[in-house]
Amino acid sequence: MAIRILSVDDSRTIRLIVTRSLKPFDCQVIEASNGEEGLAAAASEKPDLILLDISMPVMDGVTMLTRLKEDAVLKAIPVIMLTAEAGRDNVLQIAKLGVRDYLVKPFKDQQLIEKVGRVVTLVKKPGP
Amino acid sequence: MKEIVQYKELATRYGFTAPPECVARLTQLVAQSDLDLEKVARIIASDKELRARLLRVANPKADDPSEYVIDTVEAALMRNGVACAVLIAMGTPLSIALVRTVQTMLSMKLEPAQRRSVPALEGEHLLARIGFTGKATGQVYLRMDMDSAMMIASAILGVPVAELTPGPDVNDAVGELLNIMTGNFKSNLCDAGLECRLQTPDVRSCEDLETPMVPGGGVERMVFRLDRIVMHVDLTVNPWNGN
Repeated sequence: MAIRILSVDDSRTIRLIVTRSLKPFDCQVIEASNGEEGLAAAASEKPDLILLDISMPVMDGVTMLTRLKEDAVLKAIPVIMLTAEAGRDNVLQIAKLGVRDYLVKPFKDQQLIEKVGRVVTLVKKPGP
Repeated sequence: MKEIVQYKELATRYGFTAPPECVARLTQLVAQSDLDLEKVARIIASDKELRARLLRVANPKADDPSEYVIDTVEAALMRNGVACAVLIAMGTPLSIALVRTVQTMLSMKLEPAQRRSVPALEGEHLLARIGFTGKATGQVYLRMDMDSAMMIASAILGVPVAELTPGPDVNDAVGELLNIMTGNFKSNLCDAGLECRLQTPDVRSCEDLETPMVPGGGVERMVFRLDRIVMHVDLTVNPWNGN
């Protein structure tokens, strides 16, 4: 069964890059453009992993992560922060909430694949 | 102290890269309320790139170093004072963030360029702008002609230029470039004690080349190029009150 990854980022460009990077693997990328949409998608889709940005309109990533960790069902979903903001205060606050990893933008496709691959098992799609 | 140790451990685990030591020291110094200009001068004078940037900001009308009227670090700081040091302290992380973002995401090596060496930007171009507020307040303007914007978007999105048209996709890609560089920039400033927040970015095509400035503030104009891609970055900083 395909791995399901929820990409929560207000930038369509980043969601495209995530989808493109993971295309060779047997996984489905679900997209959300803010924390509110992300929480709803997490609840309805039960992804295996969430890639989460920090600065987003409507609901930011820290708020979404906090709500996620307060939810008895959703708190077990592993989260990798995918953000350009790696300032000390942000990182310490987020580490306390509990994330599996932290990938700072800019990133190379391979770095994303490596970090994702440490949390879920990525299986290459069979060749054509 | 405990938090710094904790952060260093996390940074190592997550694989973060820190800004150069001289830049971090300069930004920390500028964030102090009792700024010591002599210490600032020593740090800037000891770093070739910081020195070059300071002299460029201190000689806004000169197109290249041969036209500089102010040609020493001490004279530049004496004449322009704290605002100038703040600009240099802030412009350096911004410049590093742009070069690193383009290199990582696009595998392209942008190089800083002299304004005179690149074609002047004129007519319709893409402007991506973002404000920051807090202990440091100002704006970052990223401008490029449409051809450069299309090439950048093409490289970021992995779509041939011929398949792109100016519009939302190109704007979003250039906007993300600005987001990433200013996000890195903001993190460096916050870590050094210049706490600030980013505002919502604005990306649009326009013909206006003006970079508005608050009276008493400063501006550093930077140009970067790689072959036919040219990016103009203006960093404005509002008057510094040191609080």
